[in-house]
Amino acid sequence: MRNIVFGYGISRPRAIDMDNNDLRKSGDIIAEMPELQACIGCGSCTASCTAGRLTDFNFRKLHTAVRRGEYKGVYAELSKCMLCGKCRLVCPRGINTRGLVMLIKRKLGDF
Amino acid sequence: MEDMLIYFEPFTLPFVVGSLFMFAVIVTKWSFWLMRLPRVDRVKIRRGLFTRQTLLGAWEVVRESLLHVRIFRTNPVLGYMHASLAFGWFLLIVVGWIETIVYLGLKPVPLQGHVFFKYFAPHLNLDAHYAVFEHLMDALLLVVLIGVGLALFKRVRSSVMGMRRTTKHVLFDRVALSALWFIFPARLVAESLTVALYGGGGFLTGTLGTYLAKHLPYEILDILCMQSWWFYSAVLGLFFVALPFSRYMHIFTEIPLIFLRRWSLSPTKERKSYDNFEVEACSRCGICIDPCQLQADLGINDTQSVYYLRDRRYNMLSLKVANNCLMCGRCEAACPVGINLNTLRLNSRAKRRNIPNEGRYRYLQGIDTSSGAGRVGYFAGCMTSLTPAVQRSMERIFAAAGVDVWYADRDGGVCCGRPLMLSGETDAARKMVECNRALFRKHEIETLVTSCPICLKVFREEYNLEGIEVLHHTEYIARLIASGEVRLARDSSIYTYHDPCELGRGCGIYDAPRTVIGAVGTLAEPAHSGRNALCCGGSLANTVINDGQQHRIAERMTAELEATGCDTIVTACPLCNKSIARASRRPTQDISEIVAKNIL
Repeated sequence: MRNIVFGYGISRPRAIDMDNNDLRKSGDIIAEMPELQACIGCGSCTASCTAGRLTDFNFRKLHTAVRRGEYKGVYAELSKCMLCGKCRLVCPRGINTRGLVMLIKRKLGDF
Repeated sequence: MEDMLIYFEPFTLPFVVGSLFMFAVIVTKWSFWLMRLPRVDRVKIRRGLFTRQTLLGAWEVVRESLLHVRIFRTNPVLGYMHASLAFGWFLLIVVGWIETIVYLGLKPVPLQGHVFFKYFAPHLNLDAHYAVFEHLMDALLLVVLIGVGLALFKRVRSSVMGMRRTTKHVLFDRVALSALWFIFPARLVAESLTVALYGGGGFLTGTLGTYLAKHLPYEILDILCMQSWWFYSAVLGLFFVALPFSRYMHIFTEIPLIFLRRWSLSPTKERKSYDNFEVEACSRCGICIDPCQLQADLGINDTQSVYYLRDRRYNMLSLKVANNCLMCGRCEAACPVGINLNTLRLNSRAKRRNIPNEGRYRYLQGIDTSSGAGRVGYFAGCMTSLTPAVQRSMERIFAAAGVDVWYADRDGGVCCGRPLMLSGETDAARKMVECNRALFRKHEIETLVTSCPICLKVFREEYNLEGIEVLHHTEYIARLIASGEVRLARDSSIYTYHDPCELGRGCGIYDAPRTVIGAVGTLAEPAHSGRNALCCGGSLANTVINDGQQHRIAERMTAELEATGCDTIVTACPLCNKSIARASRRPTQDISEIVAKNIL
């Protein structure tokens, strides 16, 4: 077995400007799937991810970014997801992650 | 006297206009649908037209469109209700036709002449030779009237007909339905009043007519008679006008559907004109409502196949309804019309989401994470990586049988593509299909074994793996046991088997798992098994219901499995395994696990 990547690593320091980020899309998404607010950021979704094993695709990072109103590149990145649904089975908070991928893609379009 | 018959009266107009309108709309609809069929389908029709299938189709039309044999099997009373209205009315028309011919010989008689024959030729009834017709027509009318009575009764107490819930109808359906209920009582009254004035009649209209004649003065009878014929004609006309836009379009759509299906047309992943025949062949009988666990366990009642087809037909299908389905196939198995409900729903999803993107999944190029070598390939499937015991058990079984195995995804692999297809992204899924197929070819496997029924279905249906035999691990293990390559010890455990939807209704595999369990211990069947098996609720096909709702479905079905008094619950799908294990108080194991632990 190779090393399992839990979606954590050393990220470059950066500032998230919540005052200037446009949270409307993020609000829409949370309104349609309120359970997303229960996410504890454990990274199980990323750890079990089929696509994550083949590429640097990281679902935990992506949905966290979306919730913060950072949408750039998310649609293209989410297109790597194969929708296999393992993340939904392992999520300790019971979030419908597979539906979430589709929801984010639908809301963001080609953002 | 016969020559004096002219078949016109103002009261016939609603009927004549209504029926002409109905036939015009139906012919227009059929022509549009047929003209828009893709070339492949038109070729199929040409090839099938002059074969035995056409005759078999005609027989099926009699059995299903008239007698409704499949509904009889669901519930005899419900079957009688449908058959009496369809076959009874059909016989009323045919016998009525014969009656006219017998009275008048072979003469051209306009449509309204046949339908209102009693009105136009009351004086012919008196001949005793024809009394048999009067009684026969009355008997048929009685059969239909009982059917109408049952239909009314079903609105009040549907449980008598084996239905806990009936369909909620749209306005057009309600108009057509009300008209239909009035047609036959109206006919009875109109004919009886005519008998009251002119005599004749069978055991029903005759008796009623004599009674009326005795109690009402002639002038009143005369007025009532005309009014009742007006009313009869009006409800007929109303019904015919509403028919092509209501659920009753199924009467005329099921007939071409049966033939087209016989000529091997079927719906595909992409929407096409043929779908219209399937969608409008739905009579909204509502038999699909009760089997749906979203209804039974969660009280969701806007997404069942009957409502999905209705919404699709009237162009008001919402994304939520299209997506809110487990695709367990229980409704499809129960549908008396045999509509391909899953395929249709899938192509509704495809229409919404299938955006071709060539650059997507470029990372799949050249990926090969496989290991080992052998003529037998093992594709565990994504879900199996969450049930590592299955992977380990399969490796033990392969080792015990002395088989060299190529492991496609022991260290992570590429998804089979079916989850994407279930979400309607058929074009994107092709990339995965091509990637995996290239791997199977590259490693020159001859047998492909998979532990995941979701993968199995797509391998068999979409991969075109000529020369490679695709087996579910239950089938493969059953073979190893039969050939003696794997010898097993029996234990004293009682096992209950849960049929995974994708394996049972999806791939038709019911016997292999039972053979394997029988070789290890005692099998106890739950209340719903085989084609009727319940869904575990974990289905990938549904992206609408939440975790708690999935769990509730799992709890209900697991309780039924536990009720068999088994020691261990056995299933053959890693996804079912996960759902059941979470809801169950008893150990839940994959079939490969109970085999691996009993290897001699």
